[in-house]
Amino acid sequence: MSAKATNTPNGAEPEFWRSVDEWMNTDNFRTMMKDEFPEDASEWLDPVSRRSFLALAAASVALASGCNPSFRPASQRKVVPYVKQPEHILPGVPLFFSTAMAQHNGVGLGLIVKQTEGRPIKIEGNPNQATSAGACNLQALASPLDLYDPDRSSGSGRMQKGGLLASKNESIITTIKAALTAVGSPAAPANAGTGVVFLTEPTTSPTLIDLMEKFLIAYPKAKWLTYEPVNRDNVRKAAKAAFTKNVNQVVNYSNAKVVLSLDSDFLTTGAPGAARAFGKRRRARHLGVGAEDGSVVSVTKNPMNRLYVVEAMTTSTGAVADHRLPLKPSQLESFARALAAKLGVTGVTDDGKLPELAKKWLDPLTKDLLANKGSAAVVVGDHATPATHLLAHAINAKIEADKGDAPAISFTKALEPSTNQPLPGWPSDDSFASLKLLVEEMNAGKVSLLFMSGVNPVYDAPADLKFADALDKVRAVKDALIIHAGYYQDETTDKATHHTNLPHYLESWGDVRGHDGAITIQQPLIAPMKGGKTLIEVLGVLLNAPNNDGLELVKDYHRRAFEKSATKSGTFEHYWEEGLKYGKLANSEFTKEAVVFKGLDNVNDKDFTSPAIAELEIQYRPDPVLFDGKQANNGWLHELPKPITNLTWDNAAMMSPRTAEKLKIQSGYTFNTYRSGERGCTETDIVKLTVNGRNVEVAAHILAGMADDVIVFHLGYGRSKAGRVGSPTDPGTVAPGFNAYVIRATDGLWSAKVECTRVNKNHFLAIAGAHYAMESRRPVRHGSVADFLNDEDFAQIPSSAPAEAEVFRANTPGTPENFELLNFQNPDLKPRKHPYAHEDHGTHEHAAHDKRVKPLSLYPGNPIKVNGEDANRSYRRWAMAIDLGSCTGCGACTLACVAENNIPVVGKEQVMRGRAMHWIRIDRYYSIPVSGKLMSDNLGAAGINEKTRKERLHDSEKLKVHVQPVNCQQCEKAPCEVVCPVGATVHSADGLNDMAYNRCVGTRYCSNNCPYKVRRFNFLQYTDYTTDSLKLLNNPEVTVRTRGVMEKCTYCTQRIRNAEMEAEREWNSKARPKDGNGRPKINDGEILTACQQACPTGSIMFGDLNDDGRDGAKPAAILRWKAEPHNYGLLADLNTMPRTSYLAAIRNPNPELEKALQGEKGQEAHG
Amino acid sequence: MAQVFPKAMNVLARVSLLLLPMLAAGGGVFGAAFFRSDYTTGAREVVEQPVPFSHLHHVAQLGIDCRYCHTSVYESASAGYPPTKTCMNCHQQIWQSADLLAPVRDSYEKGVPIAWTKVHNLPHYTYFNHSIHVNKGVGCVSCHGQIDQMPLVRQTKTLLMEWCLDCHRYPEKHLRPVSEVQNMQFKAEGYTMKVKDETTGEFIDKTYKSQAELGRDLKKIHMVRESQVLTNCSICHR
Repeated sequence: MSAKATNTPNGAEPEFWRSVDEWMNTDNFRTMMKDEFPEDASEWLDPVSRRSFLALAAASVALASGCNPSFRPASQRKVVPYVKQPEHILPGVPLFFSTAMAQHNGVGLGLIVKQTEGRPIKIEGNPNQATSAGACNLQALASPLDLYDPDRSSGSGRMQKGGLLASKNESIITTIKAALTAVGSPAAPANAGTGVVFLTEPTTSPTLIDLMEKFLIAYPKAKWLTYEPVNRDNVRKAAKAAFTKNVNQVVNYSNAKVVLSLDSDFLTTGAPGAARAFGKRRRARHLGVGAEDGSVVSVTKNPMNRLYVVEAMTTSTGAVADHRLPLKPSQLESFARALAAKLGVTGVTDDGKLPELAKKWLDPLTKDLLANKGSAAVVVGDHATPATHLLAHAINAKIEADKGDAPAISFTKALEPSTNQPLPGWPSDDSFASLKLLVEEMNAGKVSLLFMSGVNPVYDAPADLKFADALDKVRAVKDALIIHAGYYQDETTDKATHHTNLPHYLESWGDVRGHDGAITIQQPLIAPMKGGKTLIEVLGVLLNAPNNDGLELVKDYHRRAFEKSATKSGTFEHYWEEGLKYGKLANSEFTKEAVVFKGLDNVNDKDFTSPAIAELEIQYRPDPVLFDGKQANNGWLHELPKPITNLTWDNAAMMSPRTAEKLKIQSGYTFNTYRSGERGCTETDIVKLTVNGRNVEVAAHILAGMADDVIVFHLGYGRSKAGRVGSPTDPGTVAPGFNAYVIRATDGLWSAKVECTRVNKNHFLAIAGAHYAMESRRPVRHGSVADFLNDEDFAQIPSSAPAEAEVFRANTPGTPENFELLNFQNPDLKPRKHPYAHEDHGTHEHAAHDKRVKPLSLYPGNPIKVNGEDANRSYRRWAMAIDLGSCTGCGACTLACVAENNIPVVGKEQVMRGRAMHWIRIDRYYSIPVSGKLMSDNLGAAGINEKTRKERLHDSEKLKVHVQPVNCQQCEKAPCEVVCPVGATVHSADGLNDMAYNRCVGTRYCSNNCPYKVRRFNFLQYTDYTTDSLKLLNNPEVTVRTRGVMEKCTYCTQRIRNAEMEAEREWNSKARPKDGNGRPKINDGEILTACQQACPTGSIMFGDLNDDGRDGAKPAAILRWKAEPHNYGLLADLNTMPRTSYLAAIRNPNPELEKALQGEKGQEAHG
Repeated sequence: MAQVFPKAMNVLARVSLLLLPMLAAGGGVFGAAFFRSDYTTGAREVVEQPVPFSHLHHVAQLGIDCRYCHTSVYESASAGYPPTKTCMNCHQQIWQSADLLAPVRDSYEKGVPIAWTKVHNLPHYTYFNHSIHVNKGVGCVSCHGQIDQMPLVRQTKTLLMEWCLDCHRYPEKHLRPVSEVQNMQFKAEGYTMKVKDETTGEFIDKTYKSQAELGRDLKKIHMVRESQVLTNCSICHR
């Protein structure tokens, strides 16, 4: 046996650990590991009352009989064709339309929406639009569920007591019009609009901005405010100070070699397109492909970018970083100051507040930034202080980030609404300040008509403004109107005098700008299901537009803009149609502007800098999943495990292990009780957070890797009126999460001094991450660029028998034998033979002839023969590769999979029992490397005692976070198949591990035998068969599963089969060449799995392994991924031959910084 | 205590030992037969429709092409049901006041679709696709029977999984040239078509003697996949 054994003996320190419990090796953890499913998952322990049990039972009887009322299937079903079939519709064939979703700050994400028989069901990114670049984010992926949400507001009218509409069909617009006429008497048009205030979401819509302008001209005394709780006030403020005007900074990640993120989680909350560009540069080598034959013509060694992240909380951007520095929010600005001073920026000095560790960063970082002038960028989180933003502009100017042919940063005109008219009522750039002014006016009784659209200030306005009280004051004024237009009847609706519903973005016409300024038309996919008028339509009526239909208003604006445009060509109709189809209006991007950095005059202004360092600080962040809480009634989002924390259905006060110890807070492992942090259910203390006299009680959660003395509290939770998911009203249920807006106020909008005390209460958090641990078998592998250059095969496991490693490799389908397949033209660039191959160990006892190293397996290979040959060779062979180097663990794949495959929401109670149904889980691992050792990070450090473990845990800056999405690996020798007593899971010829749901009788043997734990069982009836509107959401291509059925990933078999049928039925067509096996060819990229399509960083590749150039065409991209020397199969040592494989995470750390960090602590922590 | 069972019961006990397995076997046979019976599968059952549309009249007597109404059969999973507009294309001109057609006119005027009763029902977890079958040369008649002879449509096959599998295992039995897919009277015996001679490589006219012979050739020409592939679960179940 080699000293480097692959399995850690029981009790030894695991190399990678998934949770603090595992690290601390608690008894509970060890017990848990023995179970097939998390404890209780297979037990009927649900606290269902007798009544609800009976209801369930009755429902299942009704279902059984309703589905098949007799033995006679032929007698009852109806088919309802159209009366007049619309053009382009083929029943059964989905249509795809481009549209856009206005997101955070009104920036539009270009989308392609799948529509089946008139129902939009699946959102994809639009490759033609820069903000998306084909990728999608969580908010957009989950939006179809909002569309079909039965709790959406319908109707409009006057509000009665108790938050109910008096009449559903009363026209609000007539009411507003009457009120406007009253205040703006025709006799004195200059005073028109006195007391009228519009409070809306931020927007980039050119049509809306045009209408706003017209409205404010017609009513010069009216005011227009835009407000969002998570806004860019600080960004705008800094831009104005730095460049004299508001500008839009675009980071070109495709050009950036070095990126420093100052608490910016740009990979998850930024534009998905930016993450795609970043992901493309996140590879240690690049296989250049010959255009002619697809051969590998060049291998670029190291074009990889480098990412430094300074952050308070472990975010997914931090998880991908090459260097991560946990820092308190108040120290972030000090870091920027010190860095700017070091770089020689004039007008700033190091304020000396940085901790020792951060100081070590400065020299190597400065050197790296200066060495990459023009291709380095500093990005700052929107919430950072204006001074931090200002300093970042100064640093970017110093390192010439916007200079050169391919600059890392470019600037354009601001995206915010602008006007050339002298309009005093125009929205201010400082939205919090203007909101404060509004509240003052409301309290003074100066507001007679308040129109709020898409906002919910009663819930999310800063607490000290007391917005709800101000609304009460307005209500007290005679004839004053408070009109709330919203998607839901929410907290603000309760305080309004009138409510009207807004249509969903998939139901209405509009337009948006992407982050580069390009305009995308938001075209509806379905007629408004609940009626309602958009803000554009409301304004159209108020301004007496000749045609106030949404489409006409939008089209009319763009027609006028087109006629005025200098660059127009062709007709408007052509421009419009092409723009709609393509997803972007031609030439509508903002042109790049050269800006001149003015200087750091404002950097010490009182309203620019952060408050003094407090002993304990709180930071508010938008929730990575729910964002600011607008989508709080979305079950898909609630149930999605949050990146890194894996928390579902709740937010929490996140703190580092050391902070928790200091505050004597118990959570997870520190509880020595039966529910101690594993099994998806963490018992935790409730703490009381006090900020400037405002209190909130919230569950605590210990998150390793966070900065000490910081509590991070995510916004968006604790809604009191959101709907049946966000604020359930059934007895015994509570709204998910805790409301951070209660303590957030203008005295500290993003961070503040906080007191944290334990209250004598406990709470259970549903943390999905701890399910399905795979013991210490090196599931994730990682190394640095240096490791990779030193030994390309670093990710292969050093095995007990040398030749075994080659066997593991051979057992990872798609790994080319001798790498000849790809025709590496330069022999130097061809991957080397495996160092553990027998040639290198000729004298070793296990030589090549040793039969023991042949892949031993009890399981038969694929018995299917096609053309008399093994189907693995003679038919299509689907496979997937996932690049752990660029995966951020954001969860977009999981959510895309939920939407594509009709995966039900199970609820917090069920997640706590380990019954979450997601087909892709994202495992998070931690490791604590001891002085830069490769694969063997902590291995062999067996027996380190609890005290040392604890100490190491506190070393948060050393902690490394790894993420790994795990779906069904589609084993060629699948352990699940042989144990199924009814043949419900069997192999297909193309190597999919098929699930015949209707055959499954629910023995769960398959799941028991699955080493990857990727099978999910419907323990209860999770799919909602009763809510009509939710039925419209289902993908008709995928069976809706019922209770008692096992389910799992099938590589989106419906997409594969549909593409296959399209190819196969064109057997006679010249446009469809034949593949290497003589079958009609499915082109590479013709099938994208849902996860692959959504992935922001492009970390997932899928394709046919037999599309290897035998037909004379370019080999499939998947083969190039599989040919990477750091490609490995998960648990490949089990000889399951998984079709999914992983590319080991390669990081690009700065050697100088590594040296600086090791200088002092070195090996001293080593047990 | 008196004996509960008299001695005569011994005979009964012995007979029942013989009868019980027979009963069980009989039950099994009955169950299997019942499962396949027309009653259960709905085969041969004439289904009432809101308008008694006659395929016999429209197809056999008037010679209307299948695709005039079932437009998407070559491109989509669903063959497509005709919208009311399709009926009205002709019935605006002929039989425009027939009582039988009142529901059609009604639907067209009011814009309310006609709800037809489905004749061929497959379970929801089965994903049948018309386009692949007709493009590979499976005739309409193979699954739907002589639809041109039906005044009211009825299901002629069992539509049980074993029936599907029979063809997925031996597609040769039902293959015909794509041009003959809609032909209700097609016979393989005596059918002549141009095929490539395997030895000379030239195209020759070949007259077929049996469906088996034609099917074998067509399977190759149409690139129909072999049964090992066609019987995979995910071919029909997703």
